Amino acid sequence: MKKLSLYVVVLIVVSVFSLPSFAANTIKIGIVDTYTGPATTYTQDVLDGFKLAVDKINASNGVLGKKFELVTRDDKFKPDIGRAMAKELVLKENVDILVGTINSASTLAISDLAEKEKIPFFVTYAKSDRIVGEKGHRYVFNMNENTEMAGRAAAVALSKKPFVKYWIAGDDYEYGHAIANSAWNNLKRLNPRVRKVGESWWKVGEADFTPYITQIIAAKPDFIIVATGGSGMVNFQKAAKATGLSQKIPFYQHTANELGTLLPQGLNAPEGVYGTSAYFFYIAYPANRAFVAEFMKAYNRYPKGSAYSGYMTARFIAEGFKKAKKIDREALINALEDMSLDSPVGRVQIRKCDHQLLLPIYFGKTRKDPKYNFLISSENQIISSKDYISSCNEVLKARKK
Amino acid sequence: MDILYAVIPPAILSQIFVGLSRSVILFIVSSGLSLILGTLRIPNVAHGSLYMIGAFAAYTVSGFFADSSTGFWAALILAPLFVALVSFISERALFRHLYEREHLMLLLLTFALSLIFSDLVKLTWGAEYKSVPVPAMFQGYVPLFGEMPFPTYNLFLLCVGPVVALLLWLLINRTKIGKIARAAAVDREMVGAVGINVSWVFAGVFVIGCFLAGLGGALVAPTISVTLGMDHSLIIEAFLIVIIGGLGNIWGALLGALIFGLTQSMGILIWPKFGIIFPYLAVVIVLIFRPRGLLKSAW
Repeated sequence: MKKLSLYVVVLIVVSVFSLPSFAANTIKIGIVDTYTGPATTYTQDVLDGFKLAVDKINASNGVLGKKFELVTRDDKFKPDIGRAMAKELVLKENVDILVGTINSASTLAISDLAEKEKIPFFVTYAKSDRIVGEKGHRYVFNMNENTEMAGRAAAVALSKKPFVKYWIAGDDYEYGHAIANSAWNNLKRLNPRVRKVGESWWKVGEADFTPYITQIIAAKPDFIIVATGGSGMVNFQKAAKATGLSQKIPFYQHTANELGTLLPQGLNAPEGVYGTSAYFFYIAYPANRAFVAEFMKAYNRYPKGSAYSGYMTARFIAEGFKKAKKIDREALINALEDMSLDSPVGRVQIRKCDHQLLLPIYFGKTRKDPKYNFLISSENQIISSKDYISSCNEVLKARKK
Repeated sequence: MDILYAVIPPAILSQIFVGLSRSVILFIVSSGLSLILGTLRIPNVAHGSLYMIGAFAAYTVSGFFADSSTGFWAALILAPLFVALVSFISERALFRHLYEREHLMLLLLTFALSLIFSDLVKLTWGAEYKSVPVPAMFQGYVPLFGEMPFPTYNLFLLCVGPVVALLLWLLINRTKIGKIARAAAVDREMVGAVGINVSWVFAGVFVIGCFLAGLGGALVAPTISVTLGMDHSLIIEAFLIVIIGGLGNIWGALLGALIFGLTQSMGILIWPKFGIIFPYLAVVIVLIFRPRGLLKSAW
């Protein structure tokens, strides 16, 4: 009897200790993102893009003989849930890497955890510049354009236009103010003649923009910087069309010319709206054609910018491990610093000083195209990272504050 | 017109009318909420979800027709009917058994339903933003006051509002179900005691209230992106309107919606940077002076 119980104890101990070694046969990636609510339209593409790259890597025997394994959690767009989910992934699921989220507050909460637990964290679609700026650290990587980059890129393009009287409007939360501030402050710096005639701010999720738009029309500005996100993008464009604003006063929205904004409106979207985006599926590079073909084969729809972000994140993680030649978190981080890869839309690089991905941003104008039953971005002007990125000194100064 | 413009500038006139058209949607949705609250005593948090389902159903129905106008009219009829069907099923299956329970219980049930509905919407329609085109006949805008453009569709909304209000008045004052519903709101047991099947009256009122949520959703669909989460901001506004109007009073809902829509649009004109706070400020002021709402509360 005694022997038997000892046997049981040994068995339990062995099985418990063998668990991590079993887990270590794969590289486990924990993805925390918002899979409920309106943000899902973007996060589903992040996940599918990520999966597309992972499936390809796993099909060719993984990285250093190990395959990638994905676990996902829904943060319901709430920072506290996001952090709790990330903690659970780290402590219980023993993930090697964290990926996520679309919500900047949630991302900052997880980033704080990642720093404490020393787990590399790749940000796929949150846009706050504080993630790798003021709140940045060794373990966090931002894999898409942030508000500072987007606003600055827009300012570079707008500073060459003849508009003088600007109106600023947007969603009254961090993303809206961050985009608007970045665009406006940089525009003022690049073109001192511009002046602001007024501002309007509405609550997040505002459905009816008509009263805001009629008020702006009455104020007669030359140009409007509209800092909306999520469903506000479409809501504003629909109201701009219905009120005739889009024919009267030109305006700019970050991602106004992106598929996520234009696809749902079909041919009814307003033409001539200025926008900035990091990706379009119709950019005619051979690598992009191949990526779009693969994505469409797997999911039967066009990839959005967020799919591109998910796809490149997975590829950077895989190539980082390959370059490090071992499955080690610290080695992965060292390997990724200053690493560059060919993406579907050109070469992109992770900057060493702040772990921000440097990628081209496209400034364009919405227009109908006979090939598609929705509007596309036209007259695209490529703004390269050297024109819009804040210097390493600026970023590191913000971190010290 | 010139004399009018001298008194009130066109920008203000236009803003008033924009505010009124916003009030129409708010009135239609919150009158349904108020009707249910007054008669059945259910604080229906899922009312916003039904509004969202109405908008999604309008998207599906209008997609069946190549012509945007036919699709729009079909959606305007079929989408609220679909919502009415959903609400009828949930009333018979769930609410019916819980009328005697306390409000907290009902509140929890409707909250649970709102979560279930929003997941069902995601399963049925997916997470993509949907957009219902403005019907061809209401596309574009008209220069209503001076140079100020006014969307044609909002003009249409301004016509719909009074029609719905009139029909609701007729329903409540001129039909049997309306009279019973009013009586049941005052004394449920007495209505049962005189031999009226209260259960079916309640089912009828519930379905009518939810039909209005669906109608609101179908009407708002062409002006916004139909998306998950569109229920959240609306349900808060609808409850505020019902509270300042007087719980369960439909004319209170009308008054509340007008206050909400007009303070919002005028607030934006006066102080666009903080336009957001004006309707809520109005709510606070009303509640300070009339804590039970502007009109007589049914509770």
